[in-house]
Amino acid sequence: MEDFLYFFTFQDPSITWVVLGITLLGIGSAYVGTFSFLDKKALLGDAISHAVLPGICVGFVLAGEKDPRYIVTGAFLSGALATFLSSWLKQHTKLSEDSIIASILSIFFGIGIVALTALQKSGNPEIAGLNSFIFGNAIGIAEADLFLYGGLSLAILIVLTLFLKEFRLMVFDPGFGNAIGFPMKGIRFIFNVLLILAVVIGIQAIGVVLMAALLITPGAAARFWTDRLQPLLLLAAFFSILSGILGTYVSFVVPQMPTGPWVVVFLSLIALISFIFSPKSGIIKRFIARRSYLNKTHRDHLMKALFKAKEVNKGRMTLKEIYGLYPFHKKEIAHSLQLLTRQGLVIQDSQGVQLSSQGTSDAMRIVRLHRLWEVYLNEFMNIAPDHVHESAEQMEHLLTPELEALLEQRLNYPTLDPHQETIPRESHDI
Amino acid sequence: MITQVSQPVLEVHDLTVSYDQHPVLWNVDLSLPAGQLIGILGPNGAGKSTLIKSIMGLIQPTSGYIKIFDKPLAEVRSRISYVPQRESVDWNFPASVLDVVVMGTYGKLGLFRRPGKKEVQIAQDALDQVGMMAFSKRQISELSGGQQQRVFIARALAQQADLYLMDEPFAGVDMATETAIFQLLQDMARAGKTVLVVHHDIHSAMNFFEWCIMLNLHLVASGPKDQVMTEELLRKTYGGKLNLLTQVTDLIRKQDFNPLKS
Repeated sequence: MEDFLYFFTFQDPSITWVVLGITLLGIGSAYVGTFSFLDKKALLGDAISHAVLPGICVGFVLAGEKDPRYIVTGAFLSGALATFLSSWLKQHTKLSEDSIIASILSIFFGIGIVALTALQKSGNPEIAGLNSFIFGNAIGIAEADLFLYGGLSLAILIVLTLFLKEFRLMVFDPGFGNAIGFPMKGIRFIFNVLLILAVVIGIQAIGVVLMAALLITPGAAARFWTDRLQPLLLLAAFFSILSGILGTYVSFVVPQMPTGPWVVVFLSLIALISFIFSPKSGIIKRFIARRSYLNKTHRDHLMKALFKAKEVNKGRMTLKEIYGLYPFHKKEIAHSLQLLTRQGLVIQDSQGVQLSSQGTSDAMRIVRLHRLWEVYLNEFMNIAPDHVHESAEQMEHLLTPELEALLEQRLNYPTLDPHQETIPRESHDI
Repeated sequence: MITQVSQPVLEVHDLTVSYDQHPVLWNVDLSLPAGQLIGILGPNGAGKSTLIKSIMGLIQPTSGYIKIFDKPLAEVRSRISYVPQRESVDWNFPASVLDVVVMGTYGKLGLFRRPGKKEVQIAQDALDQVGMMAFSKRQISELSGGQQQRVFIARALAQQADLYLMDEPFAGVDMATETAIFQLLQDMARAGKTVLVVHHDIHSAMNFFEWCIMLNLHLVASGPKDQVMTEELLRKTYGGKLNLLTQVTDLIRKQDFNPLKS
């Protein structure tokens, strides 16, 4: 608790700086990453983030110490080389994009690890800090470095805001962009530069291995909540900042704890929550929708059975008869019976169950839809009468009043279905 | 049967186009009059979309050139409007109908400038013309195929051009919508715009187009509908593969270089 208060009251100016840095970094990478996620180029970000490692090592060797300017430049150039190679290979070979990206990722990362190991054997005392580039260490960032990383984040934000319209076009319809004379190749180039920069600014805090998660996950999680670009960008940035700060907090409290993996843990948690609880396409929403549809089908079936009993002049059905019709769905039928009784659609007494007048009218509609659909299949789609029942069993729960009216009109208000059963209508309809 | 016109809106001169080493259009040479509704007809793989994309500068021709309003494309781009195929974009992109139609104003806006009230007004007028005003706030993935197509046409209208190039705007569109859009295009032609439409249904082509271009890897015909929609020319256009030309195409593909490129 003490740690918590100490961290979040920002008594320590260095913590304030780190939080500010991670906030800027979070916004920058979330914005760029959301565009590359929408562009279905998520893997490219992953390849670039692994590919900056050799550049970090070269930068370190040239500077002889952990000078962020050298390291950022080295990382940027190495990432740029990887990006260029991937598009060059795609144009000039028949290799598929995923194999190109997978090779570039592993080759560059392999070279990087070899170089890093060689440097560790060299005995340079400065080398210790270099390991933090693998998994990231936000707390270890010096104040002076923060200005560099923060400044670059700010630059990304400014360019992205300036090019919002152009990037939107690049992702949605680049062909149209070319047609109206926009330099789409140049716009793509600027975007790639931003993507590499977004990776480079994250290497110190998050690390090369996990930087791709900070690019892609915020946008992917935010997509569950909104259908508009601007709210999507804002929400992605918010998720990114939140997990960035929480990850930094953990690595501050627990000694020797890298930041990157914890940021990713919190990000994944947010993504998981979005996946489960999203009101638009979350699994809970889908589960409930499916459940309520299944319940409706059980109620419809029960009402249909009661209506058919009425058709053969049998006023009511006993519970035993009803359960006999649906031996495998006793529980559901009992539940439906309860609900229909409460809604006043079904009347239960000592002799059995029957439809109320409102219930009769609702049940009639279900039977009507079933039989209308059978006529439609038979007459318009040339399906034999003994093949139409299955489809009608499904459509009777789905057809809307508008479609019902259209069916009636197209079929010219038929009186009989293909099995010579009457299509029931209310007396005032006829 | 190729009718050339004087003072054409569009002049395609000896255009040959190949993808990698695969020729898809051979020596197309035609000129088109202004203020007409023009159909580009031909079987699958005849090069219809390729012709439109070459006119729009999206594909570099192997040889030949194109002049629009008697000028090269770059000088008159703002007077041309383009409707790509509906499947060419991802309709799950987070955008509203209005967002997409506003893109039609980007060309005149130029780089960096943001669309404002005036651009939104233009987009809304365009949506009104295609009868999609009620959908302006709708997410684009929720639209039916025909509605998506109308959004694309509205975006083209928002470009406020003189020459319209439309790639299969009736693919996946129901009959009622097709007729409504055709009537809109006819009105545009009457107002002096030239509308070029890639189309596959000969029946509706007969009803609505004034001028037809018939393609099957080469130009079969280009001229007023009454003169080109003959049984003989239709058979030439749709009557099976051109066996010899296909064999030559295969031969070129087997070379280590593109012999058509100078």
